[in-house]
Amino acid sequence: MSATAGRPTAWLRCQVNGRAVERELDVRLLLIEFIRDTLGLKAARIGCLTGDCGACTVRIDDQVTKACLVLALSAEDRKVTTLEGARDLAAIQQAFVAENGFQCGYCTTGMILTVAELLQSNPDPTDAEIRRALIGNLCRCTGYEPIVAAVRRASATLQTATPVD
Amino acid sequence: MIRTAFAYERPDTIEAAVRLLAATEGSGRVLGGGSVLVPAMSAGEEQPSLIVDVSRLAGLRTIRENGTNVEIGAGVTYAALEASSVVTDRLPLLAAMVREVTGGPGLWNLATLGGAACRANPASDGPGCLVALAAGFRLQSVRGVRIVAAERFFHGAYETERAEDEILTDLILPAASWTTRTAYVKVKHAASSWPIVTASCAFAPGKGVRLCIGAASPVPILTEWAATEWPGADRVHEMAQQAAAAMVTEWADELAGPGYRRAIAATVAARAIRAVTEGMA
Repeated sequence: MSATAGRPTAWLRCQVNGRAVERELDVRLLLIEFIRDTLGLKAARIGCLTGDCGACTVRIDDQVTKACLVLALSAEDRKVTTLEGARDLAAIQQAFVAENGFQCGYCTTGMILTVAELLQSNPDPTDAEIRRALIGNLCRCTGYEPIVAAVRRASATLQTATPVD
Repeated sequence: MIRTAFAYERPDTIEAAVRLLAATEGSGRVLGGGSVLVPAMSAGEEQPSLIVDVSRLAGLRTIRENGTNVEIGAGVTYAALEASSVVTDRLPLLAAMVREVTGGPGLWNLATLGGAACRANPASDGPGCLVALAAGFRLQSVRGVRIVAAERFFHGAYETERAEDEILTDLILPAASWTTRTAYVKVKHAASSWPIVTASCAFAPGKGVRLCIGAASPVPILTEWAATEWPGADRVHEMAQQAAAAMVTEWADELAGPGYRRAIAATVAARAIRAVTEGMA
């Protein structure tokens, strides 16, 4: 049971990037605002605040989630992972660089986390599956073709790579 | 940051949740996934006095087989629906609709079909599909529990039978094995767009055909034909026209202005009926 009983602030206890976090915060804070403004982790961005653009993507309990759609207090006891704390992204990041899968880069952090989730459940996706997975991550620069190519490259790299701990 | 102050509660039981909601006398809001409510609060369109966060109530997050029904907790996410073999095997029409929901995994991991039903956005996927499936809506409040049929649940644009003190706990979906062929078809103008018009079609041998046109009017439009009226592919056009003609009020929004949905409804309906009839003797 969590209750704010009308008080303007409340305590949030959760885990962010592997560290326990305990903060008193404004009840009205969104999770993306808590991550960026309170904790200073700037990889996840605020784009639309409507859930359309995906720039605010983080992992909550290992599932990608648009953090502008979540009240910070809803993260109580949850494991939140941002791009800064994820350790399984290097091949995807390198593929985005190799294929010029970004221009301004604003959408890229959300793209990378979403692609990682796709490739974990579907290591060899078709172009249609790639495009469907990225349907909620909007890019205004690239026209998406280099992004899809980057996902294909990351998929190939990860499938041939020797697993390392 | 959300501009107006509110209190936040995350009760441990549904009984506590409905008590909290009732005490606000209409100014409280139920937080399921949050994909509609939270941005509405960010935009200042919703200014609740209390948020009742039910997203962790375990009973709302289960998919249960109950005889010929499948009961889906109102807090089950689109991702959980897509991953469910029960949904895939027993509710192929629902599975097809879920695969077409836009928003991407960052939304599917969060947003719920129950929440979409309560929102009752005319231009959305859930309502039309749920009416086609003859869903029952289990509503709970301090006054008790009741089950509302889909045809009576959707009252109008953003209006449902759910009272302000009620929480939707389950969607009860008939999943009898005789529903053998189904199709979900929709028109939208961009991959990430809300739907313009949807059509859900289900054929049950010996029972008949249910066709529901969604997103075209404030509430879904249901048309049924008895099995004896099922002559096959040659009547698709006539059936689609008949279904579209049942539209009274047209829904219009920034994606499709007045006249557009009325103009394409029969075509979308025909595609769904054809998808069901194709391959049938």
